[in-house]
Order: sequence, then C-alpha cells, then structure tokens
Amino acid sequence: MVTPAAPGSTSGTLRVPNPPVRRPTGKSADGRVVFALQGVTKTYANGKIALRDVDLVVPERDFVFLVGPSGAGKSTLIKLLIRDELATKGRVLLDGRDLARLRRRDVPRIRRKIGTVFQDFKLLSHKSVRDNVAFALEVTGTPGRQIRPAVDRVLRVVGLRDQADQFPSQLSGGEQQRTAIARALVHDPRLFIADEPTGNLDPLISWEIIQLLLRINEMGVTVLMATHNAEVVTALRKRVVALEDGRIARDEIGAAYHRED
Amino acid sequence: MFAFIAFSLRSAWQGFWRNGLQSLAATATMVLMLVLLSGLILVLAGLDATINYVGREVQVVAYLKDSAPQSDLDRIRLALQDMPQVTGVDFISKDQALATFQLTQPSGAGLIDSLPGNPLPASFEINLRDPSDYLAVADYLRAQITSVEKVQDLKATVGQMITVVDVLRTGAVVILIVVCLTVLFIIMNTIRLAVMARAEEIEIMRLVGASDAFIRWPFVFEGALVGLFGALITIGLLWLVQAPLTGFMADFFSVLPVEAGILVGRDVALIVLATGVGLGVLGSFLSVRSYLIR
Repeated sequence: MVTPAAPGSTSGTLRVPNPPVRRPTGKSADGRVVFALQGVTKTYANGKIALRDVDLVVPERDFVFLVGPSGAGKSTLIKLLIRDELATKGRVLLDGRDLARLRRRDVPRIRRKIGTVFQDFKLLSHKSVRDNVAFALEVTGTPGRQIRPAVDRVLRVVGLRDQADQFPSQLSGGEQQRTAIARALVHDPRLFIADEPTGNLDPLISWEIIQLLLRINEMGVTVLMATHNAEVVTALRKRVVALEDGRIARDEIGAAYHRED
Repeated sequence: MFAFIAFSLRSAWQGFWRNGLQSLAATATMVLMLVLLSGLILVLAGLDATINYVGREVQVVAYLKDSAPQSDLDRIRLALQDMPQVTGVDFISKDQALATFQLTQPSGAGLIDSLPGNPLPASFEINLRDPSDYLAVADYLRAQITSVEKVQDLKATVGQMITVVDVLRTGAVVILIVVCLTVLFIIMNTIRLAVMARAEEIEIMRLVGASDAFIRWPFVFEGALVGLFGALITIGLLWLVQAPLTGFMADFFSVLPVEAGILVGRDVALIVLATGVGLGVLGSFLSVRSYLIR
C-alpha cells in the first residue's frame, strides 16, 4: 500500500510503510489530552538550546515512542514534563495545567500523576522490593495501613509477588526494572514516562518490559517511552515522535524507528 | 500528619546510625563546643557575681567640713536618700570616726592623743546600687561646697575595674559567637555530607512526588538528634565535674559569696540543650535547602 508524503514534507518521494502511517490528530476518542507542549523552547543556562519551538499534543491512552539521537532533546522534554526544568518559551500543559504557573507546593501533587522509570532503575539498595515500592507511598504521606494492599496490587501487576522481600542486588536487571515500574505505578499515574527503560537489558528481557508497558497502556495509562531500541519501535507500529537537534522531525502514528522514505 | 512525623523520625534515626562515624564526629564536635559554651557561661556568671559583690562594697565617702551647718547636712542627706542610684547613707560623726580609727589602728592612737582636739572629719558613707553610678553621686557631692570638704576619689579604681570586667564580658560573648558559628558550619557540613550520601533517595523522593517537608524534616530531625545527643553528653560531663568544680570555685572565689552549685544547675543544662538542638536544627535546615524544589 502506498500513501502520499504527508503535507508539509519537503521530500517529494513516496513513503512505503508497513501499516498505514497517519498524522496524529492530538485527540483521543473522548478528546481528553494528557499533556501538550505549545511552542516550547528550552535554553539552558550555558546557552545550549535543547528544544526549539516544539509543539506536541498527546491524548489519553496514547502510546508514544520518543526517538532521536543522543542530545536531540528527549531527556529535556521529559524533564519539562516532570517539571524538573521549566520551558524558556512556550507552555507545557499537564492534565490541563500550565506547569510554569504551578505553585511550589502543587509541584509534588502533579508529579504523583506521572510514573517515571529510567535506564538505571533508581532503586534504593538498602530496601527490599516491597519497601522500594512502599517508599513512594510513605514519602507522600499515605497512611500506613493503605500502603501494604497498594504495594501488593502493583507487585501483582508487574509479576514480582514472590520476590517482594528480596533486595535489588539479588534481582536480575529485568526484575529490577519491574520493581521500578511497580513503584511508578503505585500512585495510579495518568502518564507513564519510561526513559530508555530497556537500555541496560538484553533483547529478551527488553521485550518482557515492553509487554508490561503495553499492558499498562491497556489499563488506560498514557505511555511515553524514550528509546533507541529500533527493533521494538518498528515492530510495534505505535505513534513515533522523532526529535532531531531540538525539533520534532517526525510525528506519525503506526510508524517505524527510522523514517521510511 | 501522623504518617509524616513517623516517617521523618524513622528516617532521621536510620540516617543517624547509617552514617555512624560521621554522626559520631558531629556529636563529638557538638559536645566540645557545648562544654566550651558552659565554661564561658560559668566565667560570665563568675564575673557578674564579682562585679555585684564589688558593687555592694563600693562606697562614696564624702568628708565634711567642721564648719558645715547641721541644716545643710540634713538637706544633703535627704537629697542623697532620694537618689535612685543610692541604696543607703550613713553619717559618721567626728567622734565615731575617731573611735573607729583607734579601734582599727591602735598604733596610731598615741599620735591622735598628742594632737589638740579631734582631727578626723565627719563623713557620709554612701552605698551604691551599681558601681558605674559612682560619678553621678560624686559630682553631686562635689557641688556642695559649703559642707563637703573632699570626695574620696574612687573614680580611677572603680572605672578601671568596670572596664576590665566589661572587656572580659565582651570577649566572652565574642568567643561564644565564634564558637557557635564554627559549630553551625561543622553541623551544616556534616548534614550536607549526609544529604549528599542520600542524594539518590532525595532524587527518588522528588520523582515520586514527595513534598518539600518530607525531604527536609528527616534531615532536620537528624540534626536535632546530633544536638540532643551532644547536649545530653555535655550535661552528663558537667554533672560529673560539678562537685570538684564547686569546690574549686569556692576556693577561688573564697572572698566572694558565690553559690557555684547554682551555676552548674538547671539553667546551664537548659541553655546547653537549647543551643545543641537549635544549632543542629538550623544547620540541617540550611544545608538541605538547595535540594528542594527549585
């Protein structure tokens, strides 16, 4: 099947994708948006421009791969979403709220709507799997008797019930990442951000993690996954947002890791 | 709220023991500084006792002219008694002066006998509330030229003593401030190291949406714990040395009615406790600030 190049594309060649590639409409079935970037530019104090005039709308229940070479701005985009950094220009909206206008004491509350996992897992080595997950609830003031059932529930989701009392050093890489995923899920987030979640894992384990993220997505959580894993991205044919030199070079639904020109 | 306090206290306790050596070093520093602090408090208290004692003993003596009319003497006496700086006025008549002289210096008695009449003048002995008020009273008396022959010149001695005590007191306060600042910086540094050792934990806390309070208070409590342990050890040490120290003070200040026991008592313990905990809390509070939400 052959589709014409998207409008605005400067290349005159035709693209030959596997399933039909569509432009994202920015709307979910019920029209709710989880996050949006409007004309966002981020310049760091040292003068480096990480993002240039980025527009991106991600509706509820979307599964988005964020791809691009190192230094293209993927990490900056994620930092803006968790309000670790503020946009120099433009607006970042999360769940309808402008992150730049958030009061200081509301920042923790909005972060609880986002579950985040990283390449390096970020687990506490002196705490067991259960305590690592419980930690996210403890430090947000959850009453003690609510913690245990909530932790058990997410450990069941990620399939780590039997390893609950082990320590990170006793776990495989995949199990460590699943612990981190459980911790990110325990606040029932609306948005799940995975920054290179399979970067430290072998291909087989990587697929297990991806399956888990797909399941989380099916549970109704919007997923944004930054990755260099071309095989996974191309195989799943989800929405792909490609950053290059701080700009969105490509934003397609059902696309592959590389531009298919 | 309960979850918050329980979490903060538990983390503080774990944090204190996890960096055991560091906490020990901080506590030891705290003890040294608190011992120094209580030492300085004792010295200051001693100085105050000294100056009060001397103050009680400082009298202004005005020698009166033999020709002074009784009415004028009565007027001066009443005026002195009305002055707020004055606690008491004694009139020593010529006869009383002679009797005292003969009693205290028997060797001079013959000399007096050989003279015609009584050469000693009558005088007012005026007791002062505060030795530094000396000048005001002396100036008043010097102005009464009809009756007052001479005002005993205590100015030089009293003035010097007040200056010395003031310098000592200022010096002690300066040392106190320097010591407190030093300890504050040491505590800040210790807590900063503790914070850095837990940078990963703090990063995760911020990531999962912990509020500033949850990040800050465990460290503040940890600082308070250093202060509390330091203060308790210091109070224990003071209690151990209290008996010998009181004995020493009694010997040293044997001329002075100083009750040394009170000095090492509840007040010092409270000051030590408040300073230790206060510095611990302040140090942690300041050093954890940079890790909170920007």
